[in-house]
Amino acid sequence: MSLSDIMGNMDLSVWAQAALVLFLIVFLAQVVWTFLPRNHPKWKDAGQLPLLDDDPPPPSGTETDRTPTNRRGDA
Amino acid sequence: MTTSTTGSPIEKFVYDDAIVRKFTFAMVLWAVVGMLVGVWIAAQLAWPQLNIGWFHFGRLRPLHTNAVIFAFACNAVFAGVYYSSQRLLKARMFSDTLSAIHFWGWQLIIVAAAVTLPLGITQGKEYAELEWPIDILIALVWVVFAINFFGTIAKRRERHLYVAIWFYVASVVTVAILHIFNNLSVPATFLRSYSLYAGVQDAFMQWWYGHNAVAFVLTTPFLGMMYYFLPKAANRPVFSYRLSILHFWSLVFMYIWAGPHHLHYTALPEWASTLGMLFSVMLWMPSWGGMINGLLTLRGAWNKVAEDPVLKFFVVAITFYGMSTFEGPMLSIKSINSLSHYTDWTIAHVHSGTLGWNGFMAFGMLYWLLPRLFQTPLWSRKLAEVHFWIGTIGILLYIVSIYTAGITQGLMWRAFDSTGRLAYPDFVETVMRLMPMYIVRVVGGTLYLTGVILACVNFYMTWKARPAQYADSAAEAPALAKTDSHDSHGTAGQSAWSSFVRMDFHRAWEGKAFKFTVLTTIAVLIASLFEIVPTFLVKANIPTIAAVQPYTPLELAGRDIYLAEGCYNCHSQMVRPIRAETERFGEYSKPGEFVYDHPFQWGSRRIGPDLAREGTSTPYRTRRSDLWHVKHMNEPSAMTPRSIMPPFPWLLTEDLDFAGIQSRVNAMVMLGVPYGGILNKDMNNAEELARAQAKAIADSIVAEGGQPGLETKKIVALVAYLQRLGVDIGRPAAEAAAAEAAAKKAAADAAAAAAPAVAPAADATPVAAPEAAAAVTPTAAEAGAAPAPAVVPPAQP
Repeated sequence: MSLSDIMGNMDLSVWAQAALVLFLIVFLAQVVWTFLPRNHPKWKDAGQLPLLDDDPPPPSGTETDRTPTNRRGDA
Repeated sequence: MTTSTTGSPIEKFVYDDAIVRKFTFAMVLWAVVGMLVGVWIAAQLAWPQLNIGWFHFGRLRPLHTNAVIFAFACNAVFAGVYYSSQRLLKARMFSDTLSAIHFWGWQLIIVAAAVTLPLGITQGKEYAELEWPIDILIALVWVVFAINFFGTIAKRRERHLYVAIWFYVASVVTVAILHIFNNLSVPATFLRSYSLYAGVQDAFMQWWYGHNAVAFVLTTPFLGMMYYFLPKAANRPVFSYRLSILHFWSLVFMYIWAGPHHLHYTALPEWASTLGMLFSVMLWMPSWGGMINGLLTLRGAWNKVAEDPVLKFFVVAITFYGMSTFEGPMLSIKSINSLSHYTDWTIAHVHSGTLGWNGFMAFGMLYWLLPRLFQTPLWSRKLAEVHFWIGTIGILLYIVSIYTAGITQGLMWRAFDSTGRLAYPDFVETVMRLMPMYIVRVVGGTLYLTGVILACVNFYMTWKARPAQYADSAAEAPALAKTDSHDSHGTAGQSAWSSFVRMDFHRAWEGKAFKFTVLTTIAVLIASLFEIVPTFLVKANIPTIAAVQPYTPLELAGRDIYLAEGCYNCHSQMVRPIRAETERFGEYSKPGEFVYDHPFQWGSRRIGPDLAREGTSTPYRTRRSDLWHVKHMNEPSAMTPRSIMPPFPWLLTEDLDFAGIQSRVNAMVMLGVPYGGILNKDMNNAEELARAQAKAIADSIVAEGGQPGLETKKIVALVAYLQRLGVDIGRPAAEAAAAEAAAKKAAADAAAAAAPAVAPAADATPVAAPEAAAAVTPTAAEAGAAPAPAVVPPAQP
């Protein structure tokens, strides 16, 4: 008896049902974990990460504000 | 030595922005190329005379899709990933050499695609057209990218992986899986290969790939970019980090299931189709969670949107993300899909996502990056504003016109008159009705392209004003300690249970990138296996049909021409079990009809009619002669007035490569196609058979009054293929039984002679058909295969 015979005799709708139940459980676990009040400070810190880099602010104004000597062609 | 508060030494380092500059340049360059081709092919539909020689719609459409997805969008992703990952991980990229290989390797792939696709070198699978040598190159370059990306994660100085990095991890891993498995093929020549899968299974793999290419190329990396660049541009953290976590895991778990919704009412088993629909509908929730999270990030900062073109782009992009991710699940509902599928509705849906979400995210990111990368102010904010407005108007013109076209098409196809006959039996009539909408689309696309050209001007002028020497993007951060509090699974005084409840293990996973990647991969693989394993292992999914036999060598060569000319871009080969379709095109398609189709050619839209029954008579026309096909390919409008199909006159003058047919047949034999009943014992007379069939077709063309001398030309192969379509299903039982017996005998002979492996593959073995040749095995119904016409939706009055 081959694997395809075994699979062929299975009720295929079981796959969809099992998948739905499995994913519902995973999803609920995710929700619980994510919204646990104890984890809130961690998420607050994590959300700040993009704002914590130390890049200097970009040059502001318009291109015409710049002195020509700064340009590559004039160096 | 300076140390941090944790005692780790402070390290100084420099970000590699040169590679980001390169990718942004490639992004705008390919945006212009890809969208220019898009506008051109849109114009070809409105004005068919713009199909000039090889540069016709069938060959250029794959160039457009590949250019905008893999050239424009991927280069935008790479720019975003390289910029944001370094900052979020507090580390320079793992290797400058790998970065350079990644950049130049990817551009080489794009150039190879741009050369091969117009030459008709294609696998014939949508969004996976590139042939096997280029596929291998893609895999290698992607591995280089992955090593560079994960290497950077490994040497990072920030313990926590920000959610944007999660999205990048999912993208890097999943794209590799999708690309490799969908492109498995057997090469016949240096530039021609056949998909490892056939028919239903190939269709399933293709749309598992196709849909998830949308997910993991056009969605998850762009979401990662949204979660980094939007807070940066708004200068405030994401509205809810918790929501972003749910958004990530839900998308990763659900997206991978949704592919079968591209195949509703086809020969795909119904259970797979239903599963795809359910998960597609569920996808609405996390997608809108992400959209809401993005828009609410701007709470209290909406005044900035009025002033800042970057935020304008982001807001509209996220809004289009929301619209597309509402519409996608809606279109996956079977009853709606029965109307929308194969129509321009799908095209409108795709373009609201790509032009709105992907395009505007990419250009918003570009305008934010330009001053930082070139260390000079943006040349013109006003020009960026003009780009935004002109692009927005362009999108609206495009999608409104094409939504209208799609719904018009769908309704006309299924309309019946008061006598119960098709209201529009002439397909070209349904095409002509769309012409005004197609012209509006060209206007919309041109406006969008104009906006992109303005972005190029802004890019060039900003670049021109760059400083003589770029200042280093220097940064400093403490080295990552071997362990920190996040890694501890419970400390003194805390029980293992309380640690578990806090889910510290997840926190640890996030810190341990390898484990996190493995878990993400498992999430993707589980879903894939749930669908793929039954599709491949359960024989009942594809009830075989005794009458269906392999293509003859000449038909196989003709099929390759069909692929090379990109016919699948306009024609489907799948009659759905819907009354309007069976009335128009004939008997609905069965899974067993496609067991020798490497690759499948079901198509995804109908600019022209379905061809599944092209070789037979249908309710509204008699079988077409060989000569009709010759004349039609030479000048379509001569046979079908008002047809917008491009002409293919070179097929009547170019010689067919008869000598190369044997290698193609050999490749098919390797794939398990039973040629034992067709070829001789040595399996080496494919060319001889092809020439004989070509001679017979050429003679019939002459007998019908056509031009002589076509027996060596490509056209006879294409005619042979077109005349074969749909024929097997209608063959008489006796003939089918004889063919089956001959095939079995030949296979037995071949085995006895220890010939090359020509035994039919298990799934491809024809079963005995005691009654009618077209009878399917009884397990078809059990497997939930394509439903009978009785289930079709009621006809329109």
